[in-house]
Amino acid sequence: MDKPMIREVLLSHAPGLHARPCLAIVKLAGQFQSRLQIHHGRKIADARNMMDLLSLGAPSGTRLQLSAEGPDADKALNALADLFANNFGLDGDL
Amino acid sequence: MLRQLELAQGKVAHNGSAPPNILLYINPDEGERRYLCDTLKLDEHTLASALDPDEQARLEFEPEHLAAILKRPKNYSSEDEFVFRVSSMGMFLFSDKLVLVLSEDVSLFEGKQYTRVSSLLDLFLKIVYSSIYHFEGHLKVINAVSESLEDQINTSMQNKYLLNLFSLEKSLVYYLNAISSNSRLIERLKNSAAKIGLTPENLELIDDLLIENSQCYEQASIYSNILASMMDARVSIVSNNLNWLMKTLTIITIAIMLPTLVVSIFSMNVNFPGKDHPAMFWVILCLALLSVALVRLVWRWKKW
Repeated sequence: MDKPMIREVLLSHAPGLHARPCLAIVKLAGQFQSRLQIHHGRKIADARNMMDLLSLGAPSGTRLQLSAEGPDADKALNALADLFANNFGLDGDL
Repeated sequence: MLRQLELAQGKVAHNGSAPPNILLYINPDEGERRYLCDTLKLDEHTLASALDPDEQARLEFEPEHLAAILKRPKNYSSEDEFVFRVSSMGMFLFSDKLVLVLSEDVSLFEGKQYTRVSSLLDLFLKIVYSSIYHFEGHLKVINAVSESLEDQINTSMQNKYLLNLFSLEKSLVYYLNAISSNSRLIERLKNSAAKIGLTPENLELIDDLLIENSQCYEQASIYSNILASMMDARVSIVSNNLNWLMKTLTIITIAIMLPTLVVSIFSMNVNFPGKDHPAMFWVILCLALLSVALVRLVWRWKKW
């Protein structure tokens, strides 16, 4: 079995990981075959499960670990990391 | 807390050298409230309404400004346990500035609609638009959570997923009320076009707002109806799951109980025929196994 690929990202979105960013993550995760997970401390959330993501409660400035396991793990991990870097597509934050 | 911004060159930006024309008060303290009421002449009751989550959306015409209470979705946090709440926001439009009053810190000016803002009035309307857009986003989240809960309920024997569904249903009722309230605000804006001085572009935007808000209301209504109508069925599913477990445990209990009975009979401290026969152990064992087979046959015959 392949080892999961792991990457660390910074949650820079001011309100943290709230409802709309979680929706963006679920939509993105659904496009890949690989299993994507987000780790916040001891909590692990399946990126396809809205309930898991909403329960993470990660505030702004938190470092999260993304892990991907599966045939398109590399692509999925890159896409998810880009989503975090681009503020989940929610522009013009003031 | 006060955040000062400016509308310059069609964009909302952090305040530079020019006097700020957008004042964002987040949970104003006593001093800031005094300033708002005494200096800017905001009505105290309207200011209090801006911070009250239970207030309805409305529009009021004051001598020197236009006052609006707008409903918007409250930021969701993990402590909310799947209850999505609504908050109020006060928007006070003067000729030379826009004062916004909120009870929580939010990322207000995010979205493509803020890339080209022609005036403070245009900004006022775009904030209303972003509130509708925010509601739509949260409705999609609620739908996703509801689908996730449905999957859990199908195999669950616990109440917690049902309780989460009840929370979602409650949230949708809050949202329906708030969206409906906002629609009255938008209609009042349209009806007061001449008084406010709306341009044809503003009126076009207001028509778009009415349509978007109406669609948002329809979407919320559909989700609410689905949750409400399926609630009884889901309660039955959880109950059935538990019944299925009880049935399984009962089968196991009976399957163990009968051979125990057979063995117990032969364990009585009395003389019975063939007591000392060398094969008696195997006879008793066969009788015990036969009793299990008998239970199985009766179960299948009865189709339990």
